[in-house]
Amino acid sequence: MPALNTVGHSTPRIDAVERVTGRAKYTNDVQLPGMLYAKVLRSPHPHARIRSIDTTRAQALPGVKAILTHETTPVVWGAGGIAGGQQYNDEVKKITKHRRYAFNNPVRFVGEPVAAVAAENRHIAEEALRLIAVDYEILPFVLEPEAALESDAPKIWPEGNIAVNNRNEPLPITQKRGDAHAAFATAPHVFEDRYSTSFVHNAQMEPRSAVAHWDGDKLTLYTPTGGISNCQHDMARDLGIADEKVRVVCHYMGGNFGNKNQNQDGDLITAMLAKAAGAPVKLEFSRKDDFIGMHGRWPTVQYYKVAVDNDGTLQAVQLRGYSGMGPYRKNSGAIGGIELYRCPNVDHVVTPVYTNRTVSANFRGPEFPQGFFGIQSMMDDVAYKLNMDPVEFGVKNMSRMFRDEVPFTNFTLEECIRRGAELFDWTQRWRPLPGADAGPIKRGAGFTYMLFRSGLGMSSAVVQVDANAKYTLFVGVTDVGAGAKTTMGLIAAEALGVPLSQVTVVWGDTDRCPYSVGESGSRTTIMTGYAVMEAVRDLKQQLAEKGMPTGSQTLVAKASPNPRLEGKVRNAFGAHFVEVEVDTELGHVRLTKYVAVHDSGRIMNPLTATSQILGAATMGVGMALHENLVYDQKSGQPLSAGFYYDRIPTHLDAPTVEVSFVENDDGYGAYGAKSIGESGIILSPGAINNAIFNAIGKRLKDLPITRDKVLGALA
Amino acid sequence: MNEKLPDSPDWTRREFLAGTSAALVVAAAAAGTLEAQTPGAAPAIAVDPAVPHSTIRLTVNGVARDVEVEDRWTLAELLRDRLGLTGTKIGCDRGECGACTVLVDDQPVYSCSNLAVWMDGRRVTTVEGLSNGGPLTPLQQAFVAHDAAQCGFCTSGQLMSATALLKRNPRPSAADVKAALAGNLCRCGNYNRYVDSVVAAGGGVRSSVGGDQ
Amino acid sequence: MKTFTNSNARDPQQAVKLARDAHAAGKAASFVAGGSDLLALVKERIIQPDVLINLRGLQNASEVTSSGGAVTIGAGISLDALSRHETIRTQFPALAEAAGSVATPQIRNVGTLGGNVAQRPWCWYYRNGFPCYKNGGNQCFSFAGENQFHAIFGGGPSYIVHPSDTAPALMALDATFRIVGPFGERTVSAKDFFVLPRQNAAQENVLGADDVLVSIQLPAAMAGARGRYHKVLDREAWTHAVVSAAVVLKMDGDVCRSARVVLGGVAPIPWRLPEVEQLLAGQRITDDLAVRAGAASIAGARALSKNAYKLPLTKGVVRRAILEARG
Repeated sequence: MPALNTVGHSTPRIDAVERVTGRAKYTNDVQLPGMLYAKVLRSPHPHARIRSIDTTRAQALPGVKAILTHETTPVVWGAGGIAGGQQYNDEVKKITKHRRYAFNNPVRFVGEPVAAVAAENRHIAEEALRLIAVDYEILPFVLEPEAALESDAPKIWPEGNIAVNNRNEPLPITQKRGDAHAAFATAPHVFEDRYSTSFVHNAQMEPRSAVAHWDGDKLTLYTPTGGISNCQHDMARDLGIADEKVRVVCHYMGGNFGNKNQNQDGDLITAMLAKAAGAPVKLEFSRKDDFIGMHGRWPTVQYYKVAVDNDGTLQAVQLRGYSGMGPYRKNSGAIGGIELYRCPNVDHVVTPVYTNRTVSANFRGPEFPQGFFGIQSMMDDVAYKLNMDPVEFGVKNMSRMFRDEVPFTNFTLEECIRRGAELFDWTQRWRPLPGADAGPIKRGAGFTYMLFRSGLGMSSAVVQVDANAKYTLFVGVTDVGAGAKTTMGLIAAEALGVPLSQVTVVWGDTDRCPYSVGESGSRTTIMTGYAVMEAVRDLKQQLAEKGMPTGSQTLVAKASPNPRLEGKVRNAFGAHFVEVEVDTELGHVRLTKYVAVHDSGRIMNPLTATSQILGAATMGVGMALHENLVYDQKSGQPLSAGFYYDRIPTHLDAPTVEVSFVENDDGYGAYGAKSIGESGIILSPGAINNAIFNAIGKRLKDLPITRDKVLGALA
Repeated sequence: MNEKLPDSPDWTRREFLAGTSAALVVAAAAAGTLEAQTPGAAPAIAVDPAVPHSTIRLTVNGVARDVEVEDRWTLAELLRDRLGLTGTKIGCDRGECGACTVLVDDQPVYSCSNLAVWMDGRRVTTVEGLSNGGPLTPLQQAFVAHDAAQCGFCTSGQLMSATALLKRNPRPSAADVKAALAGNLCRCGNYNRYVDSVVAAGGGVRSSVGGDQ
Repeated sequence: MKTFTNSNARDPQQAVKLARDAHAAGKAASFVAGGSDLLALVKERIIQPDVLINLRGLQNASEVTSSGGAVTIGAGISLDALSRHETIRTQFPALAEAAGSVATPQIRNVGTLGGNVAQRPWCWYYRNGFPCYKNGGNQCFSFAGENQFHAIFGGGPSYIVHPSDTAPALMALDATFRIVGPFGERTVSAKDFFVLPRQNAAQENVLGADDVLVSIQLPAAMAGARGRYHKVLDREAWTHAVVSAAVVLKMDGDVCRSARVVLGGVAPIPWRLPEVEQLLAGQRITDDLAVRAGAASIAGARALSKNAYKLPLTKGVVRRAILEARG
């Protein structure tokens, strides 16, 4: 892979100075003349029908300018409901039975919006919420997915609690190959186990906020979104206005991690309050609002059954999985991971289930951290039971083609694993006999590997040059924190053959920027980056034909490529190796070494790419050891909504992560770039769990692996 | 950066929407050159005369000020909404995350968890006061070089805690940095970068995070 | 946030008067020093004061004075200053360590010793506004609920655990508390300062609504004893103690003359372990003795449905703390 001039060299972010001087403007930093402040009244009940809402006293409070309820504002929030991977499909909104409004009745989880107030300041808005009298008819509720499938469970929707897909069918997600049942009957070794994962909140540092302003019939919405174009389209659709009548602006945002590539109910509520009040409105979520009003990662229960030959060759894998979606299906509820293994017989059935918890949807690598934790713990356990080194078991059984059928554009998984094992010194750190250390402090090593989608797709870019050879790149990215605007600038500079300093990037404003795919699914570098290359290709052709512009002239080129793969699948690969120290007396788990090896294709900017991996791995530590939205089972109330009780990792919880990239260029995407942002978190919970097993000889099966579970296993 | 995209008939609506300019504070500043709002020039929240309020005298980033505040305003509210110093962020408003960290008499505190009225006679430094319009401090430079800020929302708070640390301990070890910054969460998980930045700003040798050489 | 008036007090007597006046006028009043925790409670409307009586301006409130080996610490001293104070670090190390283990640097810079000792519980039912004993109700939701962080000693009818890190250290150091109230001054021993829920389920100590905790005295008899505060957190920083142990050993060479061992995180008050203390007294602190002390530490403990792990954890923390105190 020949080196490039600009791409591939560590480069500080083009907006780094703004970020370290406080000059970067986030949504809540927007102050408009005459702006009002808004707050949302949320349901205190997990399931209740609203008999009536009396806003008289709140209306009478001096300074209150507008109040919305489900009675006054029956607006459908299209992106909030039936997803099935098609959350942007207008048809879904029309046909769905399980419609989600901005304000719903009945309310189906603690935290569901009941009313919203705009007032002269945030304190008056908060006071007004307390003056709204809501008469609730309390309904029975259910919190856990398996309990919700019992015949006597409270029905969250009249049709039952299996979450419907976008054809209104209450069907599980299935994948079948061969005859697993027959394989289980004949295989020499069959293992079964149950794993579970918890609801983990995205918990980005910036609590949700939005500022809306109407200029005549045109809405300007400042909002933290990773997809300004998608948000714009969603807002227009939900409000019943043309896309041109919505301008979405997001210059900086305080973290995404998957709950920001659509419009959110807060966006709709803010826009409608601004309309009702005839003034700009800023909505502010409290941290608790954000924890219970925004979605997090879907919790899962996973039952595995695995058949293996005497030589350790996998014969069959079965998964019966249940995902808790909350009362709306905002995303698929899938459980990834079976595709990691080459296996002739697969029987995979995952049922997404409605519950009366906070809604679950995208969170960094949506369905994979849960599933990889389950299956990579399960397979690690199988390896031990067969007296095999887990690394050798993995290499022996890993997929080498997608679902054993379709070739990958390149395949470096074994290289990732081998390099990781070497950097980590696996043979020295791994204990052939788990729990063998004398204690009370015991060490152990674990590993996981992954493959993760890196597909191609449509996005757009515009590039312009003026007579002073100043290049301007227009891209509809917002930069969720991964460094997209810098990456786009680097790709443009590389393609143009000019230094980065000659390229100005314009981003984050639908009135100024072309469509971009949105910063979710680790797609922006691949798709928008490729559009940048195509736009530059066009510009260079124009320059060759017309020469440099003169005077006030400019040359402009745009591209909206939609490249496809024929007969191949494109994946990123990786392997994480973790060493832990378990204090068996105190139940304490500490990470003492962490090696992450990734093939994310060619690395555009090693500086920011490395940050992605070490940050995601650290986020995975939180998922592995601490984070869980705990509910009181009797009342259906969330108890741990906030940074303190949810135990988000601190400086002292973060391991030192050694990152290594296996680089290559498979000829696709932007200079061979593949996905990166999500992959880091997918591997860590399983690797940590496997290391804990190696240290203490006890297999933990339920996330998070808190102290009580460690001590319980050792008791 | 005030370039307007030229119109072009074959662009679809989704690719480009013609701009209409609203007279908005932030909209007026184009991406890439967003300037800090000048304190006092930004539309500021006003004291509600019906609510208990007080006049305090404090120094903010070297400038002495007499300010009227509602007794219930937090220091964060005063800084952000009254003085326009929005570099200080509110992540939780409960003293659980550190995004709002500022220095009061050189000590890092949570500005969300201190009332403005308690700041009478005190000296407050925010992220805007670190370089005060001049060149970046060595710490800020180290943050840039080491990619300390991912989303950037916690960065101001990390900077303030680290600034206080370096004043007390000019050459901190990684362990010193972690202890001093333990009250500053980073959900992007970029802790290794933050620690390396602060250690480097103190002239120490940074730890080895692979991949970015 | 709810409206309230901030009233700055110059001295404890004026603070008391401000509180009495507010209460006489039918207003709710709260004393505030560092204020980090108090403001969080006000924002959540767990408490709803009309008047905040600000103790930050009290004269000499943060002084540490020595007299014949005894030390008097102003309740207004910041936890950070306390943790770094030379006399405290060298003569009463368990307290310095405890103060340094609280929350985060930002909180320790404003949080005070008095506020830490008197802070309200961090039970998530209380903090989420459940109508429990601590919120004016008449039940404890943790008993049949999510009680993984709740009491194994001294519970009933409320099962909160006392949240303070400094309180176990103070009890281990045989501290006394000087209180200024409407009827003048009084001094209360640590044993009498904290109250079990069976005595008063609504509060954690004897402070009345108009009482100000002014200073805390450590006796000369404890000066120079070996000490250790061992705290187990639920992540590596910024949680209250899951289980902690303050151990103070008075040694004659390698023989323990007398010992005080007090647990945090396990009971509604700092929980003293007299049996363990007796086990140590007059003995050489061997590894084996520490194991036996750990085993003895959970005598009489009763686990709730989800906190049985605190039993082995307590044993381990006590064993380690004793060995660490021994040095």
